[in-house]
Amino acid sequence: MVRKIAIITFIAIVLILLYLPIVWMIVFSFSDTPSFSNWNGFTFQNYIDLFTGQSSNAERIQEAVVNTLFVGAFTSLLSTILGTLGAIGLHAIHSKRIKAAYSTVNQIPMINSEIVTAIALALLFTLISTTFEISSGSWLETAIKLILAHTTFCTPYVLLNVLPRLQKSDNKIYEAALDLGCTPAKAMWKVVIPDIMPGIVIGALLSFTLSIDDFIITKINVTSFETLSTLLYGLKSGKHPLPADIKALFTIIFFVVFAAIMIIYSPKKKSQTNK
Amino acid sequence: MRNTFRKMLATPYALFMALFIILPIVLIAVYAFMDKDGAFTLLGNFKDLAEKEALPKVIKNSVIAGLSTSVICLLIGYPIAYYLTKKEFNRTGVMIGLFLVPMWINFLLRMVSTKAVFTALNIPLGMGTVIYGLCYEFLPFMIMPIYTTIQKIDKCYIEGAEDLGATPIKAFWKVTVPLSMPGIISGMTMVIIPSITTFAVTEILSNGKLMLLGDYIYSLRTYNLNLASAISLALMVLLAISMIITNKFNKDENGGGIW
Repeated sequence: MVRKIAIITFIAIVLILLYLPIVWMIVFSFSDTPSFSNWNGFTFQNYIDLFTGQSSNAERIQEAVVNTLFVGAFTSLLSTILGTLGAIGLHAIHSKRIKAAYSTVNQIPMINSEIVTAIALALLFTLISTTFEISSGSWLETAIKLILAHTTFCTPYVLLNVLPRLQKSDNKIYEAALDLGCTPAKAMWKVVIPDIMPGIVIGALLSFTLSIDDFIITKINVTSFETLSTLLYGLKSGKHPLPADIKALFTIIFFVVFAAIMIIYSPKKKSQTNK
Repeated sequence: MRNTFRKMLATPYALFMALFIILPIVLIAVYAFMDKDGAFTLLGNFKDLAEKEALPKVIKNSVIAGLSTSVICLLIGYPIAYYLTKKEFNRTGVMIGLFLVPMWINFLLRMVSTKAVFTALNIPLGMGTVIYGLCYEFLPFMIMPIYTTIQKIDKCYIEGAEDLGATPIKAFWKVTVPLSMPGIISGMTMVIIPSITTFAVTEILSNGKLMLLGDYIYSLRTYNLNLASAISLALMVLLAISMIITNKFNKDENGGGIW
């Protein structure tokens, strides 16, 4: 009994430490002061200011939210398409050597240090911009660059989420669709894609989350393009590093992410209990 | 014939990988052996790096931070992973989920909030707070592989050891720990290299006083891509070696990555 209490206490302490900074932020997002020493009571003012655009960082926040969502959405779209097609193709390839090479290269961005991937992509973008003489530095060009960079490290996760679904599904259904007169493309769309849909959805959500969270690759590859991560980085050296409106913004984001995680993890749990 | 269409679908991503994964790595290798003017140099960049005054200190800090982070993560993560595989502590699987949620919250946000907490509590920033931050960021990466390997261990082995007269403690050290070794090894590799190459954690939690390898590469990037490439290449070689060692331990492929 004593042993059990000790173990529960240990687990609880680690959990409390993990959540302390997040809870701290949520609590103080409802206050107009940065610490308990001068607590003034509960207020929604930070949220009202955030939505009416009257807070101190309003413009930067707006820009960062738009940029982050834009890059996240297109990264998610592109990596889901590439990863799903890649998984279907990889599953159909019989040659062991090609299969091994394909999945090994796919895993490089997952294994490699993020900073190395970032430097490698920076070299590639330098090469491209000097060879083709494109360096206008426009908003769209920067956004496209970021989308490509993010797609590089997001697609492997899509592929690895779709592949197990393909391995579980029955190849004969696709064959039957062909026998019954479907073109390969139609059979793919009507039979294979619906079958692996759960994997595709999780892959899309995962790459969206990874993209909006990314900092290292973003920071190294683009300048003067504000995302939520670079915005946070810019605040690092202040005495009270989190301004009130930022706390409110990230409290909202926290609950959105929390809901997304529940969606990502719940189907997995079901399949575990089915076993 | 019937497979041709499906095989063709692998092409777009194959081309994408060639351009965005393989070519950039080739570029790193090229830049690492090239001087600033573009001429070939075998060891020039590495010599330059060795002469940098800041580098020995950066490496020393990285070794200290990387080793302490991985050891602390192992000491905290192993018991947690072990007890969470037991029904009495993790009936529905929700507990393990609670340890994974912070991983999905922007790490900069967690680090900046941690700094805010430390500042409010008047805790001085330095190596201690940096290691705290790194453990905070990487603990889930230690818990997950160990959790999945322990889950896969057949309970019969432990029961067998106890039937044959081992005390539960002895059975734990002689059976559970050796069988969970693949998880420990992949946990260590998933913590140690990312923790020394992460960038910004050190800067935030030491107020810019300390630098680890990641921060150093970032600082080089702005004025000397060749030196940054040389370190990156060295890091990749280090990573490849550690992967080979990991694979030796995980021959049966149940190392249990996070995904």
